[in-house]
Amino acid sequence: MSSRAFKCRVHVGGTASGEAMFSRDSFTFDRAVDPRTGMVLDTRTGLGGASIRGKVLFYQLGKGSTAASSWLIEAIRLGNGPAAIVTERLDLAAIVGSSVAGILHGKTVPVLSGIGARVFAKAKVGSIASVEGDTVRVVMAD
Amino acid sequence: MEAEAPSLHLESGHEKLLRGEGGEAQQLAMEILVKVGEAVGAESLVPIKSAHVQADYIGLHESGIELLERFSSSGGKFGVPTTVNPASIDMGNGGSFGIPEEFEQKQRRLCLAYARLGGIQSWTCVPYQVCNFPKASEAVAWAEANSVVFANSVIGCRTNLSMAGMDVASAILGLTPKFGMLLDEERVARVAFRAPSGRFSDLDYRSLGYFIGRNSGSRVPALEGIPRDATSDDLKHLGAAAASAGRLAMIHYVGITSGSGSLGEAAGGEKIEKVDVSRPDLEAVEGELNQTEEAPDLVALGAPHLSISELGSIAKLLEGRKLKLGIKLYAYTSLQAYEMATRTGVRADIEASGGLLSQGTDADVSPLKAMGYQVVLTNSALLTETLIGDGAAQVRYASLSDIIGEVSE
Repeated sequence: MSSRAFKCRVHVGGTASGEAMFSRDSFTFDRAVDPRTGMVLDTRTGLGGASIRGKVLFYQLGKGSTAASSWLIEAIRLGNGPAAIVTERLDLAAIVGSSVAGILHGKTVPVLSGIGARVFAKAKVGSIASVEGDTVRVVMAD
Repeated sequence: MEAEAPSLHLESGHEKLLRGEGGEAQQLAMEILVKVGEAVGAESLVPIKSAHVQADYIGLHESGIELLERFSSSGGKFGVPTTVNPASIDMGNGGSFGIPEEFEQKQRRLCLAYARLGGIQSWTCVPYQVCNFPKASEAVAWAEANSVVFANSVIGCRTNLSMAGMDVASAILGLTPKFGMLLDEERVARVAFRAPSGRFSDLDYRSLGYFIGRNSGSRVPALEGIPRDATSDDLKHLGAAAASAGRLAMIHYVGITSGSGSLGEAAGGEKIEKVDVSRPDLEAVEGELNQTEEAPDLVALGAPHLSISELGSIAKLLEGRKLKLGIKLYAYTSLQAYEMATRTGVRADIEASGGLLSQGTDADVSPLKAMGYQVVLTNSALLTETLIGDGAAQVRYASLSDIIGEVSE
């Protein structure tokens, strides 16, 4: 097991930890995640059938429709949102989704960007991640 | 720990609204814009000339109804001309298209909230073709990714992807956080694609867009070698495909986009990576998007909405032909193009072949599974991408002429 810490840019602040989920494809919450269960439906992410609920969700880039933020808001409202979202590139959908969920439902998830692409190449199932301030810590499974 | 040090400068008028001096709706809208503005490091909130907002229940959910009704029940009014995106039900015939009743009721609540807020009830994902006409270089705040790409790339106005939730807040206040595509330095092309030579089919434009969306990463792309006979409809579908496959808000169409007469201008004089797109690249996209060989039960043409001239082309292809038994064909369009198609006889022509026009909704915001469709045949890369995303329906991706040839006789 190896533990590494990354300094990231904080968009929505907070503290969280949980199992790490790394998408191997660009990611959208629109259609690709069922807000009623948290289940990832888009198999191209490599996460098909797994739930984002309570997980630290990593993806490099967002994609697609401007509705994506409202799918995230709904997942958070129903208690099926991720523990935190960490991206390589700023994803406005995640930022707006978490921010508006905070204003509307009193629940946000931390959103950070700027994690290097390398962590995705080394991603392994069963890894653990935590977010505190601007630090994202990943304990990579063997 | 708080989000990064707030750099957002608020004018005194904005601060008053944030304190609630402009009423509850404006306060809520300002809270949203300030939170988002701070989160993205915007320096200020700047005026916009128009807004375009997401309106479909399938995308907005209960949370979306709650937000819209909070705005509408507290006296909120849109502060700038605001057009609305398609609904999840046909806006002419509603439930007669097989939409579950409960679903329709939810959509009706969203429609009512938009009416109360003073929304221009356009119900279209191509406001730029029917009712919302910005001029070059002005700032707007538009939702709907295909519209955003068209706005930045063809019209030359400036907008970020105004995400649902933020879109309505901008419409209420007539403001948007100044960042991203509103800044000159963020609009510079960082990667260049060259289209393959030769004739382009309808599908080629979409596949090329999809390829660009897939391969741009977070860089603003430029595109050279666009066929001279490309229409604004072709660019509409190219941009829609690109935005569905990636996270992009603009494509510098070299020779078309304002200020991008050459690749050098698009790239701000910098040397950037160049990618020659080949015919095999486009075929690979087709292969990736084509998910089944099964016979379709729905042909969905649209996503984004078809223009009156595109409806005319479909009518021409269908002339003297009838749809095969068991196949539905919907051509999705705006209320305005539907009306023009009715007046010019195009609708009657399509209906004579067994096809139907659907107005104010689109396949990508319809509950196709609940409507009972299992295999969808389309020439829309955007719709295909959406359907692959949730796996609710199988999808086949083919050119319009191949589709008509297959499903009619």
